Amino acid sequence: MAPDPATLAIETNALTKRFGSFTAVDQVDLTVNEGEIYGFLGPNGAGKTTVIRMLCTLLTPSAGSAKVAGFDIIHESIEVRKKIGLVSEKLIMYPRLTAYENLIFFGSLYEINQDSLRKKVNELLEMVQLAPFKDKPVGGYSSGMRQRLNVIRALLHDPEIIFLDEPTTALDPQSTRFVRDLVKELKEMGHTIVLTTHIMEEADELSDQISIIDHGKIVATGTPQELKHKCHADNLLDVFLALTGKELRDSASDRVPMRRVVGRM
Amino acid sequence: MLLFAFLLMPILLMSMFGYMFPPTPKANQFTQSVPTAYPNLPVAIVLSDSGQQAYDVATSFIQISQSRSLFIVSEAPSFNSARDQLVRGELSGIIVFPEGFSDSLKGGQQALVQVTVDETNPQIAAVVSGEISTVFSMISSNMAMQNMQKMMQSNTNVNPEFILEPISTNGEPLIHGNSSSFQFLAPGFMALTVVFGALSGVGFAISREREQGTMDGLLVSPIPATAVIAGKILSQTVRGMIQGFLILGLAMAVFGVRIYGSPIIMVAVMLMGVASFVGVGIILTSIAPEQETAQMLVILLQFPMMFLSGIIFPISQLPGWMQWIGKAMPLYYAADALRKVMILNAGFNVIGADLIILVAYSILTMLAAVPVFKRAMTR
Repeated sequence: MAPDPATLAIETNALTKRFGSFTAVDQVDLTVNEGEIYGFLGPNGAGKTTVIRMLCTLLTPSAGSAKVAGFDIIHESIEVRKKIGLVSEKLIMYPRLTAYENLIFFGSLYEINQDSLRKKVNELLEMVQLAPFKDKPVGGYSSGMRQRLNVIRALLHDPEIIFLDEPTTALDPQSTRFVRDLVKELKEMGHTIVLTTHIMEEADELSDQISIIDHGKIVATGTPQELKHKCHADNLLDVFLALTGKELRDSASDRVPMRRVVGRM
Repeated sequence: MLLFAFLLMPILLMSMFGYMFPPTPKANQFTQSVPTAYPNLPVAIVLSDSGQQAYDVATSFIQISQSRSLFIVSEAPSFNSARDQLVRGELSGIIVFPEGFSDSLKGGQQALVQVTVDETNPQIAAVVSGEISTVFSMISSNMAMQNMQKMMQSNTNVNPEFILEPISTNGEPLIHGNSSSFQFLAPGFMALTVVFGALSGVGFAISREREQGTMDGLLVSPIPATAVIAGKILSQTVRGMIQGFLILGLAMAVFGVRIYGSPIIMVAVMLMGVASFVGVGIILTSIAPEQETAQMLVILLQFPMMFLSGIIFPISQLPGWMQWIGKAMPLYYAADALRKVMILNAGFNVIGADLIILVAYSILTMLAAVPVFKRAMTR
């Protein structure tokens, strides 16, 4: 049954991105329903980050189109950005500023009323248990604290869609558990979540729907159960390896010019 | 630490060049003697001639030198021993009265004195040579005057000065007051600081944000890319202007530089200087993949600019093709305009051509920078 366009948070049509002669994303068609957690899996260099950056209007597609929250990513990019939040692998914070100062700065970019913004910042800091540290420079935070801060920065303007790029990489188990619970909470609050991850159990636990991308193309889409059934596998790791192979992917990123890699999430 | 470095750079820059080129000393209003920029330099006299005239001239030299604090004069037994001292750096010059000096003077012939200086230090060598020549000129003039008076004892209407020097020159400065070399340097350094701040500051700010990830935070928010650029430009402009005025303050307080022109025109010129380079900084950073490369590109541009734009010395001393390169850089016009305003009280009518070129540079580079930046951030 075709997805109802009225309930689609994201839809792409032959979305393509080339870097010189290298095609990083090759005619990707995907749909994300409102209110779901969409897992986006793929080996290193498969094109996950490139797709995310295009949907966040940080990269201009070479071909194809996409709509995010009903707005075209090329012609209505500013409207798209009002509706999305991005949690990238890099900490999007100024290390010399405090958590509070950073959040007020980034919140100000969304034209939020200052009183409302201050209230929201304090609430979010409480939510992720960072309120006692709000006046400390972010440069001194642990990785777990930084990631929690990164997540709430993306929530300041109450976006409809949140992009999370490998949110639990390099986190300790407690922080990992915290972030995963937070993602579930965000879904319950009505946000649509696009999650990229290498951690199969995370994708299995959190995702309502998963797409697996390899060499720039979507190779499979479905719920975790559907994919396991399709590949006759007990777990998502076996599904992943069955669809993408066991070959190491070190050479994939070599085909992308260095400057693109540096800029990637 | 960052604030310290931000303030230290202009102070160091100015101090280094300020003391490298010391101010032209003013004549004492009572004695008319002119203090030297390098007082009490050590020189040695070698009296190879044992005659009375050589001894008298040497004594006059010592008296004049010491009374004006020009030299500390010692006697060396031979040229070779004096030369060794010169090579070791213990002396700045050697004066040799050769054999036959006294006989020449007694016989009514011109006597020669041999002067040797350390050419490995051209600046000091020039000063020592010049001052030794000046002292001997004074001694020669006195001797000539005495000889003339002896010759004209019977005719008191003749003015010896008229015979010795019928025409003399008197300098009328364009800039009244103390015209120090730093008066020339200060406007150039101000322009340099402000412009370098724009060129490197904007570039580094963008590349640093790109590497640390905060550029994504800015670009994923609903503000146009032009607003991001404008913010960077504004912050770096303010920083550059602060450093520029710090240099000016230091130049006035420590090196006696005076401003003869309009502060408003001065600020306008500095702002135009910034505007002319901001676009270049954005373009260089946008095309560089990381901050290190951006830094290298900026240095590649800054280094020749510093020497070819007339900041440290007039570019008329350079070969023609280098002068063309210098004049192709907006810093040349910014420094030229600032110098004319600060030192010669020039108005907009005088520096109009400089400003038009700076405006043209600004418009062209900004027009190129905005799409280059957008493309670089979203490619």
